[in-house]
Amino acid sequence: MSSPELVTVTIDDRPVQVPKGLGIVEAALAAGIEIPVFCYEPRLGPPVGACRMCLCEVQGMPKLQAVCTMTAQDGMVVRTAQTSEKAADGQNATLEFILVNHPLDCPVCDKGGECPLQDLTFRWGPGNTRMEFEKRTLEKPIPVSPAIALDRERCILCYRCTRFSEAVAEDGQLVAQNRGASSVIATFDDQPYRAPFSGNVIELCPVGALTSTQYRFEARPWEIQNVPSVCGLCPVGCNISATTREGKVKRVVSRNHPEVDEGWLCDKGRFGFTHLNARDRIADPLRRVRRRGLEELSWDDALDEAERLLRGAEGRIVTALSGSETVEQAYALGKLLRAGLDAHTAVFPEQTSAALDAHRLPLSSIAQADVVAVLGDVPVVERAPIVDLWIKQAKRSGAHVVSSPDDEALAGAERAVLIWCGPDGEGGARVADLAQRTGAAGAFYLPETPNGRGVCDAWAAADDAEGPDPEPIGLLVVSGDEAAADPNVRALAERAEHVIVTSMFHGLAAGWADLILPGTSYLERDGTYVNLEGRLQRLRRTAIPPAPDELAWISRLAERFGVELAPYPSAVFAELSGRIYDGLPFGEVGEHAELRTRSEAPAPVLPGEGPSPKGKGLRLVRYKALFSGPAVERVPELQFQRPAAEVELSAEDAEKRKIASGDAVRVSHNGTSLELRARVKRDLRAGVVRIPAEHAGDLGGSVEVAK
Amino acid sequence: MGLKTMLLAGADERDLTKLGEYQAIGGYEQVPKARAMSSDDLIALLQAANLRGRGGAGFPMGRKASLIDRKSPKPKYLVVNADESEPGAFKDRQVMAQVPHRLIEGCLITAHAIESQDVFIYIRGEYLTEYEVLQRAVDEARAAGIFGDIEVTVYRGAGAYICGEETALLDSLEGRRGQPRPRPPFPPIQGLYAAPTQINNVCTIATVPAIIELGPDGFANVGTPGSPGTVIFSISGNVEKPGNYELELGTSMRELIYTHAGGIAGGHQLKAVIPGGSSVPALSAQQIDVPLDYDSLGAIGTFFGAASLIVVDERCCMVQLALRSTKFYMHESCGKCTPCREGTRWMVQLLEKIEAGDAELSDVDLLRNVCSRILGKSLCALGDFAVYPVSSYLEKWGEEFVAHVEHGGCPYGGESSLERIFAPSDQHTHSPVAQVPA
Amino acid sequence: MSSLTAEIREIAARYPDSRTAILPALRLAQEQNGGWLTSESFVQVGEALGLTPAYCQAVASFYDMFHLAPVGRHTVEVCTNLSCALVGAQQVVEAFETELGVAPGETTEDGEITFRAVECLGGCGYATVVAVDNRYRHFVKPEDVPAIVEDVRGA
Repeated sequence: MSSPELVTVTIDDRPVQVPKGLGIVEAALAAGIEIPVFCYEPRLGPPVGACRMCLCEVQGMPKLQAVCTMTAQDGMVVRTAQTSEKAADGQNATLEFILVNHPLDCPVCDKGGECPLQDLTFRWGPGNTRMEFEKRTLEKPIPVSPAIALDRERCILCYRCTRFSEAVAEDGQLVAQNRGASSVIATFDDQPYRAPFSGNVIELCPVGALTSTQYRFEARPWEIQNVPSVCGLCPVGCNISATTREGKVKRVVSRNHPEVDEGWLCDKGRFGFTHLNARDRIADPLRRVRRRGLEELSWDDALDEAERLLRGAEGRIVTALSGSETVEQAYALGKLLRAGLDAHTAVFPEQTSAALDAHRLPLSSIAQADVVAVLGDVPVVERAPIVDLWIKQAKRSGAHVVSSPDDEALAGAERAVLIWCGPDGEGGARVADLAQRTGAAGAFYLPETPNGRGVCDAWAAADDAEGPDPEPIGLLVVSGDEAAADPNVRALAERAEHVIVTSMFHGLAAGWADLILPGTSYLERDGTYVNLEGRLQRLRRTAIPPAPDELAWISRLAERFGVELAPYPSAVFAELSGRIYDGLPFGEVGEHAELRTRSEAPAPVLPGEGPSPKGKGLRLVRYKALFSGPAVERVPELQFQRPAAEVELSAEDAEKRKIASGDAVRVSHNGTSLELRARVKRDLRAGVVRIPAEHAGDLGGSVEVAK
Repeated sequence: MGLKTMLLAGADERDLTKLGEYQAIGGYEQVPKARAMSSDDLIALLQAANLRGRGGAGFPMGRKASLIDRKSPKPKYLVVNADESEPGAFKDRQVMAQVPHRLIEGCLITAHAIESQDVFIYIRGEYLTEYEVLQRAVDEARAAGIFGDIEVTVYRGAGAYICGEETALLDSLEGRRGQPRPRPPFPPIQGLYAAPTQINNVCTIATVPAIIELGPDGFANVGTPGSPGTVIFSISGNVEKPGNYELELGTSMRELIYTHAGGIAGGHQLKAVIPGGSSVPALSAQQIDVPLDYDSLGAIGTFFGAASLIVVDERCCMVQLALRSTKFYMHESCGKCTPCREGTRWMVQLLEKIEAGDAELSDVDLLRNVCSRILGKSLCALGDFAVYPVSSYLEKWGEEFVAHVEHGGCPYGGESSLERIFAPSDQHTHSPVAQVPA
Repeated sequence: MSSLTAEIREIAARYPDSRTAILPALRLAQEQNGGWLTSESFVQVGEALGLTPAYCQAVASFYDMFHLAPVGRHTVEVCTNLSCALVGAQQVVEAFETELGVAPGETTEDGEITFRAVECLGGCGYATVVAVDNRYRHFVKPEDVPAIVEDVRGA
């Protein structure tokens, strides 16, 4: 690629060389000059020039210009408020007009202290008010959704939120209504803003008009700390900051990683953190006592009990992993059980494949693709929400988005990207194989768990020995809530003589565990995760867990079996990094982790064509909905986002059966059947039906749908 | 100088809404002539004719056409701005009602010049009768095979003054809230559906057949060198014979008011003329000996605008006039940019206070300053349109504003011609959003 | 498919982008619903055009000619902008108020007539302009008002 043409722009008498076409706001930054803005936000698409905060003098133009809408051209001379009285007056005027109807309730506003309107008024605005009329008053706060409150009096109508809704998330739900001074931000008929990315509008809002109901009146900006970490609720691993006060997480905000998330978060990642404070959170170890149920016990007693159960199994141990453990935690558990107890059998939450390493690309590369093939029948947004935004961005830039690897567009593509989201992906081997055969530029597999790859690799690295699968199972070790909630794991538990479970919440394992050790959340651990790109990222402890974290007690337990294991993630990482991460030091994982490419990757190993579903019914795809799972279930603000009891059908299959969206239908398989509402989806392939797992009962394989 | 028909030629004698009648006076004969020319030659001819846009800004139409990115692989669009909404203007309406085929003929010629096959005529929603006439004319001409490979679509607006602003019109035509876009990109590069787009007013396009017929030189013989051609002037307000008068550019304003429009009605005295539609600075009675053309009006601090004169006699309170005018612009502000949205409302509040006699002299100064702070800072010209008239009233009739303060109320004592005038912004039927009383 | 949906889709097919059809679609929905748009209208228009109801509501609320609250069977609109105002539009407004017994913005009790003041209708030279169901009447004087009302009620 040729480097872009450089041009010279003079801003406040400072000449600066920038690429031609760079925005003037950015060019000024390059010259060390701030041009104030409200509506300008390049991630929302082309500038709109609405707020008029950026008015500057541009040589050759008689009027002040909203320079956020202009780009660098050679010889351009710009004067900002620093050197132009006219520009200073213009910016002052804009702020005066903005403040004419702004309530100035800053002392009780959540935004106060981190509010661009406050900051810009401080620097460029009028010090007094000349407006003596009653300010406009409107009903407030309006619940835009259970998670978002809208204060229309504070709103300065910069249209960032509505542009996000229309042009980024493309949900078209948050809009401006009316005209002129009567314009307001609204949803349709005041219905909740129900969309997977709604919470981003809170961060985009440059004033306190859109606020988080979770964070309202919770903290002042000068009494908080923002801890950098990554989200652990899906395989994307969006970079986040957890705002904490007095050791508690108060909110989660984005921390823009341009290659991963571009500063967006899904609502699960943003609002899900309150599961930390769930009422049924387990803080102390629990032991099953015959006829009395579960009983709390001290940590020392719990470790004694764990040791007893581990020894008693005599190596006949199976470990069920969640895929949400940190790399260090999985390694530690692996080392304890494999090196200490010669128990090598593990049940992984899902398959992984190193074959994908040959195709590693950042997620942002999707936006540059000319063809994106989305394969696999599970909606991308349900599994790896941010990937959906990247696909949308690609589409807006003109990419073809296709749903079949045989699509003609794929053959003619120059930069094709393949994305596999659904069953039968063989952990990514299938899409890696496809990429090899089609010459695609990149391939992504969207796993179900946030750190499945990291957990799998860490377990493998923990010991070199192998062993047979035990029968009967003496002890089942269930690591984490996702594993505990997995029906397959529950089935294993039935067969096991004893069960130890690590779990955050009462109820998940209460009926069948012999010993429950309190689990922690991704927000309470230090360590690393590997996301779906293969990017190793750093988690930080943002809140103090109610109990010691897993690594702490695993290392104490390891000591009892003569296994040397440090209780510190940095030390554990140092031990395993040489085996799986090329000796990368812990300190160099980085706040904005880079994607390390792999020079070698194994060839994809694929099983022969699996048995095609029998019968002539419709193939059922059960999927875990984004807004489901143990964490989401414990967040009141997310309940309205839970999936509806619906079955999705293709237009073709619906028409054949004379089914329309909203019809009550019966979905049946082998004598069992369920009643659900039908939803006709134009983008679904014929022959496939989809049901969120929590509404799919025992259905599987092929099903029939009828009115 | 004086009366001269070009746009409306023949309309008094015949029913030119009928294709046959229009063809009987030579209608559509310019289309094959234009099509015989190359696109480049036709644009050169239009540029030579120096036809200045009749919509308000006066930008040369041929030059606009020359800016169209004809090399773009995208379709090119011609959009006719028939969203005539400027208070005082009602001439596009007459053109569409009486000579729709002349407008269509102009469309076909201009479309050929810019290599467009898609013409949209965006007509304001309120013009229902005119829409029906125009649509019938389009259907008739299409059926007669006159269009060739060009399609002409008449599209109805739905009641928003701002859609007369060309980029807001494009947004509206794309099915959005009609709000102006920042420029650049300019419509000739990225207009309708992000494709190269020429946008012209009805009267501009309806003048094009005459340019082909007369040639640039013949066309230049009409009007003044800087402003060739004729213009239909709308004149309304306190005159004996309000209406539309097609005149050569350069005709004196006095002639229009006193000769053609019959002078001030009811023996009253001329007080003010708002010469270009309600959005331009007003002239005093002493300023009407001015030729009606772009440059002459510009030279005395106002605008040719939409060539629509509102004549005001001595019975009108200028504070009331300012208030009623500003309420219109506040009502029509699209709400996108800050100074216009917030500033027009503040202006209304200040003017109401002055009219009520509750103001102090500092409020008059504040009004003046608020005007100056809106001026030149809004995204489109609407903010300026709200300010121009009010600033001119303050400048020329400032003593009336002061009198309101000193008198503790309107010095007209309830006898002003605009007394109590009700404005649509005073009725809250449109907003579904509850306004809570303060 | 409802007939409204079918009609809207047919209109949409005429434009390079179906979104352009939203104004005609809303107008159609309004005509078929007694002159105003309900929540259901936005759902229907949105479904026909592949747009959200919120978007349709946002667009409709921008334009004066779409009504988001019930209106009478007929509308009477008086222009009160400058040219009409200068020659007595307020007297015409007041004559209608007296004749109809409602203020501007209101509908007569029998649901027959919605009376409104409106901005410039583009009939400045023929002031005062009154639009009855979008058909203009020119040079209206207060004394013409009773006959207009009678005419509307008789229609």
